[in-house]
Order: sequence, then structure tokens, then C-alpha cells
Amino acid sequence: MTVAPEQTAQDPFWFRECFVMPMPIGRKATNLRELVETLRVVDEWVPYYHLFQYRLSLTYPGVEYPNEFAFWAANALQDNQLAEKLSSFDPFDFQNMVQVREALIDILDSYMWDLTYIPWARPGFEFDFCEASTAIIRSQIVAHTLPEFCQALQQVGLDSIYYHFFEARWRLGLREVDDFSFWIEYNFDCPEAVKQIRDIDLYFYSLREIRTELLKIIDQHLGDHCDQAG
Amino acid sequence: MIRLDDYVPIVGQAVVGQLYRLAEHLGPHRLVNINSTRTGGGVAEILSRVVPLLNQLGIETLWEVIEGDQLFFETTKAMHNALQGQKVHFSPEMLEHYEEINRTNAPKFNWQADLVIIHDPQPAFLIKEMRSQAKHWVWRCHIDISRPYRTIWKFLQKTVSQYDASVFSMPRFSQNLKHPQYIIYPSIDPLSEKNRELSPEEVQEVLDRLGIERDKPIILQVSRFDSFKDPLGVIQAFRLVRRHTPCKLLLVGGEATDDPEGPQIFAAVQEAAHGEPDIQILMLPSDSHYEVNAIQRAADIILQKSVREGFGLTVTEAMWKGKPVIGGAVGGIVLQLQDYYNGFLVHTPEGCAFRIRYLLHRPELGRRLGQVAREFVRDHFLITRTLRDYLTLMILVENPDSRMFEL
Repeated sequence: MTVAPEQTAQDPFWFRECFVMPMPIGRKATNLRELVETLRVVDEWVPYYHLFQYRLSLTYPGVEYPNEFAFWAANALQDNQLAEKLSSFDPFDFQNMVQVREALIDILDSYMWDLTYIPWARPGFEFDFCEASTAIIRSQIVAHTLPEFCQALQQVGLDSIYYHFFEARWRLGLREVDDFSFWIEYNFDCPEAVKQIRDIDLYFYSLREIRTELLKIIDQHLGDHCDQAG
Repeated sequence: MIRLDDYVPIVGQAVVGQLYRLAEHLGPHRLVNINSTRTGGGVAEILSRVVPLLNQLGIETLWEVIEGDQLFFETTKAMHNALQGQKVHFSPEMLEHYEEINRTNAPKFNWQADLVIIHDPQPAFLIKEMRSQAKHWVWRCHIDISRPYRTIWKFLQKTVSQYDASVFSMPRFSQNLKHPQYIIYPSIDPLSEKNRELSPEEVQEVLDRLGIERDKPIILQVSRFDSFKDPLGVIQAFRLVRRHTPCKLLLVGGEATDDPEGPQIFAAVQEAAHGEPDIQILMLPSDSHYEVNAIQRAADIILQKSVREGFGLTVTEAMWKGKPVIGGAVGGIVLQLQDYYNGFLVHTPEGCAFRIRYLLHRPELGRRLGQVAREFVRDHFLITRTLRDYLTLMILVENPDSRMFEL
């Protein structure tokens, strides 16, 4: 089903921008045991940073691992088996970060249980624990129509994509739902676009790629009129 | 003068537009930066760029420099080395003189500010005299302080702990401090002489002037002649490569001015390169940014085979030029290079030789790594990111206890 480019939303979409700054907590893990022991005692903001917010700090192009724990297991411990297990860990299976942290520790703990040795990080690849501070600002960028939405998507920074696509799932309390598909669902009769957006496997795309995917999906449902804003 | 909008073709309108929106949201603020030199060194280089750009964004930004005598700068140089881990002896007189010079500088500064950023240890003691002149004080440490010499860190910690926050260049440099610690990664300026685009003619002119022939693939390392940069390991790697594949090695370094070890290492490098016509060693004046830019652009593979490194901005520069980079797996190089994605990390001269050969035989892979490397730098390590981080820092110091808040 296509949406008429001039169709106006009942509620406009206000883009927010978020500014994340990593805050090292002064602790590091040189081996897997230290990683687990430290995870047990740090604030929940720490796993939150390494599972989600790291995307706004330093992300490697084309790296397949969906969180910093899996990446560290592969890159620093050079333990592919553990990296595989951590790659399949989905924080959105849980209700809150307390549960997420417990589940993560459980994976690491049960993995160590059967080992006769403790995997150590290569020198120089220690795990530096961080949390982050995030300032969120309501930008003046607003969309009333889908073409305006496309234009705004290209105008805002990647952190805005992060905020509305990742952060939103915790904020809305609906793990499958992001701000973008939520807005389209309630303002335009286009269930296919909503489904396609919710089907994006967010762990395997960079923020830039997610922006491109969103534009592609909306363009498809606008009948190639994504560029007709204003 | 460089305008903020000059960066739009490089980073995109979204990035520059966001800086304007962030600054507007922040509103009128006065920011003061204080360091110990107006010219020379990485801190002065970045401040000379960042300060005018912040002013263009409407943030009233001042840059002050403290003055000192020879004993003061000898002491702070020793302090710098000690923070990087060297065991240095400090007499009580040296430390007293350090504090005294800070005290005598303080009356020169009579502004009131929202935020003061003190760069490195030299002016750190000013806070004791000037606390009331700013709402917030941040200590910005540019040094690799991952393993400081305990005696000097204990001395400095007493002063640093009076600040509202500290900023380090990498998580592993952070310390056991009670106040918030933030990370601002170093950055390069894509419009500076060292990094701006050059035409093929400009590159060739520099090569002709310096007598560099392009008859074989060029392997390059740009760095001081310092044992931590392992120039001897580079020569060893090159000799291993040459047994199989023709190429030439260019070692480009600055004049060793304040490093007593420099001439010794330089002599050892000359000795190691003796009798090898395909090794060329160039000593360039420290302000040869344009020449270094051209040489980097002419190289086929760029090395930074350090055995100890802070962040490694030479790696960032090489990546920005779209070159395949092979770096030692130490310090900040580990944060920048990922095997097979945007370069290679190595641990030994043998590993370095192996990766050079690998890339010489796969120039297409080298081009691809270089392209990814350039985009990686564009996203993370350009000056626009530093501007954004400074503006964010100004917001965060006013909200130190919240981890997520909407303004």
C-alpha cells in the first residue's frame, strides 16, 4: 500500500538529539574472571553502555559482533566459542537492566564453569569498564508528512537515529517498538512499512545503515516520493 | 580564517548543523582554556583550531597561556615523563617552584567564566588560587597516564581532586578519582596543512624537492627517532620483506630537540640502514606539515610499529589519507585499527614484515582497508567531534549526577 506524499500526520514527529559521553569508572578486566566479578558489582549503567551506548562512542566498521562483550571475547580473549554465545545474547529479552546483567553474568559464569583455565586478554586489550552520561535535546527538526520525515532523517545526526531506534525500546517498554514505526503506525495507514521497520535486525546494521534502510522502506511505500518534502 | 561551514563538504551538513543547534541550546557561555604554550605540541595545535571555531558557534572562548622560567619547564617536563611512567626524582624545591609559578600567574587572569579547562599538569595548580573565578573546573589530561610514577601522581592527585571533572584521551588513562571522568578522543583537523587534500602535482613537487623516487612501492613510517617507535624493528621488518618483494622504506622523523636519547637512536638507525640503497632516512624540521602530508599521500603502505604509544595520531592521519596502515598493537593504536577491517595490528618485526608482504601482493585489499579507515576517521576522529565533545562537556559538568537527562 502506498501513502500519499501530502498526507499529514495528526501528531508531528519531533526529532530529539542525544549527546553521549563515555565515563570510564577506573576499573579494568584482564581476564574473564575479572570481567564477571566486576560486572557483579558495578552500576547497571555499565552493562548498558557496553551493550548499547558504545555505538555512539566508537564503533568499528563491518564488525559483526553486536555488543562489546562479544567483541572483547573474540578480539581480546580470542575465544570464539564465548564470542558466539555472547553474540546471541539479546538484552531485549528482558524487562530491565537488573535482569539483563544477571543473564549476562549467568552466560559468563556457566561458560567458565566447564573451563579448566581462565582466558586472559592479549596485553593491551584489557576490558575498560565505562558508563556514560547522556544529554537529550529536543531539536527544532520536525516532520508532518512522510517526505518531511525522510528529509529530517537525512538532516539529523546519527545519535538521533540511536535515540529513536534503540533507546526508545527501553523508554516505551515495548521491546519490538521504536519511535519511528510507532509514529508511522499511529499516523499513517501503512502496516507493511511498520512491519518492515520492526523487522530490521538492529544488531547487524550500523546507525548509518539503519538510516539508509529506513529511507529505503519509506520510499518504497511513498512510491519513490521520499524526496518531495515541503 | 577557516569557517565552520568549510567542514560541511567533509563531514556533512548533519554534523555541522548539529553543532550549531547544540551551541544554541547551550546559550551564552564563557569558556576559558589554559595551557602552557601558544605554539608547538599537540595541545597548542588543537587549541589553535578549536578556540576560533567555538567562538564562531557563539561560545565566548578564551585561550590563556601561563608563563614560567627554565626551572618551571624543566620540572613540568619531568612531571610529564613521570606521569608516563618514568621514575624521576623531584626535589621539594622543584615542586615548590611549580606551585609558586602557578601562584604568580594567577593574578594575570581576571575574568569570570562558566567553565575553565586546564590542559595537562603545568597550569593545574591555578585552581587553588582561582577557584572562585569559574563555576566549573575541568582538568583535561592529554598524556598517557595509564601507569604514572606513583610519587608524582600522589602529588598531582591532591590538586586534580579539587576539580569538578577530569577528561582523558582513552578509558585506560582514567584514574581512581572521586569526581566524574570523561573521555574525549584526540582528533585531527582535515583542513590543516598536515591533512588537507593535495593535488598529484603538489605531492610530486615535494617528492622531487626531497629526492624521493617512486620507482618501487613506498613503505613509510613517520615518527620521532625514539625507541618506543621501534625504527630498528621497522628496518628489520623491511629487510625480511625485501628478501621476497621489491619495495623501498622511508623513515621520516623530526629533529630531536628535547630528547637526549634521540641522537643515539638516530645513529643506530643509520647504522642499521647502512648499505641498503632502498632505505631512505629523512630528517625534516618540526613544522614540515605540508611535506609530511605529501609523503604520506605518496606512500603505498604506512607503518606505525610502536612498542608504546599514547593515542597515535600519526595512525589517524595515515588512515585519513586512505592508506592501508600497519600498527603496533599498543596504546590507542588498538582502538583505531582492526585486523582485516581497516588495517592490521602486529606484535613483532616478523608480523610487520608478513603484513607488508600480504598488502604488497593484494593492493586491492589495501585500497579497501584504506577506504574503510578513512570513513572510520571521518566518523570518530575529526575536529568536529572534538567541538561536539566540548559543547557536551559544558552541559554535563552542570549535571554531574544524572546519567541521562532531557534539557
